Amino acid sequence: MPLVTLGPGAGRAIKSLLSEKGIQGPVRIELQFTGCCDPSLGLIVDTVRESDLVEETDGLTFVISPETHELAGEVYIAYKDDAGRDVFVVTSSKPVSEWDGFATCSIRM
Amino acid sequence: MDQYKLFIDGEFVDAADGKTFESIDPGTGLPIATVAQAGTADAEAAIAAARRAFDKGDWSGRDMAERVAILQDFADHISQQGVRMVLTECMDAGQIVGYAKMIVMWASLLMRNLSTYALTKFPMEEEILASGNAFSPGREYVRREPIGVCVGIVPWNFPTALAMWKIAPALIMGNTIVIKPASNTPLTALILAEAAKAAGIPPGVFNVIPGPGGALGKTLCTHPDVDKVAFTGSTEVGREIMRMASDTVKKVTLELGGKSANIILDDADMDLAVDGACVGTFLHQGQICESGTRVLVPSKIYDEFVGRMKARAEALRIGYQLDPTSHLGPVVSKEQLATVEHYVKLGQEEGAELITGGKRVEVKGFEGGYYYAPTIFANVNNKMRIAQEEIFGPVVCVIKYDGDEEAVAIANDSIYGLAGGVFSNNIARAERVARGVRTGTMWINNFHVFAEYCPFGGYKQSGVGRELGKWGLEEYTQVKRIHVPYYSDRNTNFSFTLMSDNKKIDGFNYNCPTNVIAGHGSLSSIYKVIVDLGCRRALIVTDPGVRKAGLADLVKSALVDFCVGIYDNIPPDPDLESVDGATAMARELKADCIVSVGGGSVIDAAKTVCVALKNGGKANDYVNRWFALSEPQTPHIVVPTTAGTGSEVTNIAVITSKTAGRKLFIADPRIMPNAAILDPRFTMTLPKDMTVGSAMDAMTHAVEASVSIMANPICDGLALHAIRLISENLPLVVADGKNEKARLNMQIAATTAGWSFTIAQVGLAHAMAHTVGTLHHVPHGAACGIVLPKVMRFNVDHATGKLAQVAQALGVDTRGMKERDAALAAADAVEALMQKVGHPMRLRDVGVPEEGLPICAFHALADSSILFNPRPTGDPGEILELYKQAY
Repeated sequence: MPLVTLGPGAGRAIKSLLSEKGIQGPVRIELQFTGCCDPSLGLIVDTVRESDLVEETDGLTFVISPETHELAGEVYIAYKDDAGRDVFVVTSSKPVSEWDGFATCSIRM
Repeated sequence: MDQYKLFIDGEFVDAADGKTFESIDPGTGLPIATVAQAGTADAEAAIAAARRAFDKGDWSGRDMAERVAILQDFADHISQQGVRMVLTECMDAGQIVGYAKMIVMWASLLMRNLSTYALTKFPMEEEILASGNAFSPGREYVRREPIGVCVGIVPWNFPTALAMWKIAPALIMGNTIVIKPASNTPLTALILAEAAKAAGIPPGVFNVIPGPGGALGKTLCTHPDVDKVAFTGSTEVGREIMRMASDTVKKVTLELGGKSANIILDDADMDLAVDGACVGTFLHQGQICESGTRVLVPSKIYDEFVGRMKARAEALRIGYQLDPTSHLGPVVSKEQLATVEHYVKLGQEEGAELITGGKRVEVKGFEGGYYYAPTIFANVNNKMRIAQEEIFGPVVCVIKYDGDEEAVAIANDSIYGLAGGVFSNNIARAERVARGVRTGTMWINNFHVFAEYCPFGGYKQSGVGRELGKWGLEEYTQVKRIHVPYYSDRNTNFSFTLMSDNKKIDGFNYNCPTNVIAGHGSLSSIYKVIVDLGCRRALIVTDPGVRKAGLADLVKSALVDFCVGIYDNIPPDPDLESVDGATAMARELKADCIVSVGGGSVIDAAKTVCVALKNGGKANDYVNRWFALSEPQTPHIVVPTTAGTGSEVTNIAVITSKTAGRKLFIADPRIMPNAAILDPRFTMTLPKDMTVGSAMDAMTHAVEASVSIMANPICDGLALHAIRLISENLPLVVADGKNEKARLNMQIAATTAGWSFTIAQVGLAHAMAHTVGTLHHVPHGAACGIVLPKVMRFNVDHATGKLAQVAQALGVDTRGMKERDAALAAADAVEALMQKVGHPMRLRDVGVPEEGLPICAFHALADSSILFNPRPTGDPGEILELYKQAY
């Protein structure tokens, strides 16, 4: 079972965003707090830690902590063009929140 | 295990697709109830029920008192469910039992108190006493009306209270509502539904649909039948809700995330501040959006404070939420627990110093629960993620600062602005700091204090709008303005004349309340007049010339003990500064009445002093405002020393703004003086040129008022009599300035003309005179006189009959004349009078350069007086031609 699956256009959009900033990656999939709407999954450019699970997909390196992977399961990253702004909807096979898939996020760098 | 159903259209029903989910007790990790899980079809059914109920009007159309009676019954039913609700709130949301008791009790009180407030104090209708529109008088008021179908999306941290924050204002104001509780905590909202049903709230008015926000959110926020969405939750989700709601332009109130600063000042009571920091952060395990999760502590007490906070945090008891000895219960879910752990790890990686906590806690007998130790990070930099992102768990960052300004800067260095605290023994200092922080709430020497009459909401990305109090009620209303004009007549509607060739305004409102006392020795009446006005402390406002002539002292003497001072520094064209000077003196002397002694400049300045004195601030705050005053101003008695402006009875004041480089106006019936004392002794020494100039000002008032599109029979009578008096008496006073009877008649003429034009307005001659006065400093009366005959001829075919009457008033024998010839004779008669009394006849005689005339024409076209001229003109060429004739 893959750690992460990219939806149509997602890989290209992530590469484009990283390239604009001159950053290689990897991209971490992490829990981010969203207050009383429960946590959500977010994306952040980070370094690889020793315990991380790492996966190369579509020429991109994704990392996720084992704890987050256990909680969320397989992660799906969909691309969305939000009025000219590249954003992503990050969902998982085991939703971490009742608002799973509702909001969008960008990549924190 | 308990089973709960959806509440739609007054009935408890299963989900359309039969789905259910379990609600988990976070203290045990075990399910406590199964709940029907709403899907899109159920959301649509609930919205449809709410729409039907709203449109039917048996809630929205009900009298407020009837609604409130039912809602008070609803509150009582909530109280009756109290024990069950407290237990459910504890087991569903993990609130410690002591806190849950307060919250549930408040839910009932909130409904009772807010509905009573709405019934007795909330302004469902508000009169606008001064509309600001001088052209369309009438009754203006606003009504508050319900918005329609509201959606309330409620979070899991306070499922009862935050549901009531939405239900109460929505229902009180006549809306219907669909509540979507959080999936972690769906139960108490459904108990509220039971209470609502028992109280007889009509079907469809109140609906509850538990279910996943990700699946229901789009339907709730985009459905065309939803009029408003009220959401409490994350900034991330709130942003998406706002975006979705914008497609159908729904109203939204959003109460979103926070990262509040709790600022400890160096003079704070240390015990109080330490407790304030711990309660501010750790109450309800830190799962409160306004939690003070950034504690800012000054360097000099930092180490001691952190040490004491650590000891306090480590003394807190963590346990099952129904154990009354527990200080902290569990966090709401295993996902929440995982995320707290993630952030604590992140804080350590960022270099923050973990002082205490940072680990799960196992509670004996409740091993499946989601417990986490109170956690303190010291030496935190505000740029760290743990200081910028909402953790929503029992984790606090203690940040060091030096000086109050730096504390405020750190507090404001956040995308959020929900709340905050300041701890200090110096309340004034604490308030200064509190005012500097950009948040919706600041508590001083306290934290987490809510009250139903006090607003809550955020600055910046912490939200939109406010909940609670009158502000919260307003968010559930539409504002409707209703205008009912004085006149239901197309010929008395100033705006309608824009599309009509008939510019004449038929109807009129004559309201000139100034008490006029006239005659030799009438000054002595001032002693009674001031008492009648309820005043005892008069400030005399005058100019240096009048003071030097001894006239102000005469008035002072007549006031006996009621004069507290004399301000004698009003210049000829009074400016804002001179008004402010007089106002400051009046304030210092605690004057309760203004007595102006002088000509139009002094009277206008005094009118403005009265407004500033009554309302506070400076003159500049009130100029260029029309019909904006809604109550009587500071009492004003006028003793005119000229006979011309009529300002002693008019509703206008002209003040020069040096900054704007022009003359500005206050036009308002509320500035009409209370009394005018026309004692001819005060004009006896007026020099000839000023006597003539001011008389021609009055003449122009009267002539223009009589031909104005606003002319009316009352003003006509006043204007014509003023013309007659001026025509007969001006030559007499010019011949003999000591002719007291003629002087009195000239005063009466000026006052009468003032009464006339303050209602009927003036016209093109004034527009032209204002312009040469402003641009070339021509005395106003002289400018009026020079241009008046030219304008009368210009108007002759638009005011023929009126001008013919003017001719008669001027003493022209019009018998046998054609009406138009009689009208033209009026202009000739004005010129003859001017020649007889030695009035300047040409603009070149008063210093206007010929090359300046074209620009004067453009300026005159923009003067508001031109609106009332009987002959419409928008052509600067026409006005230039008149200036040339007058040149």
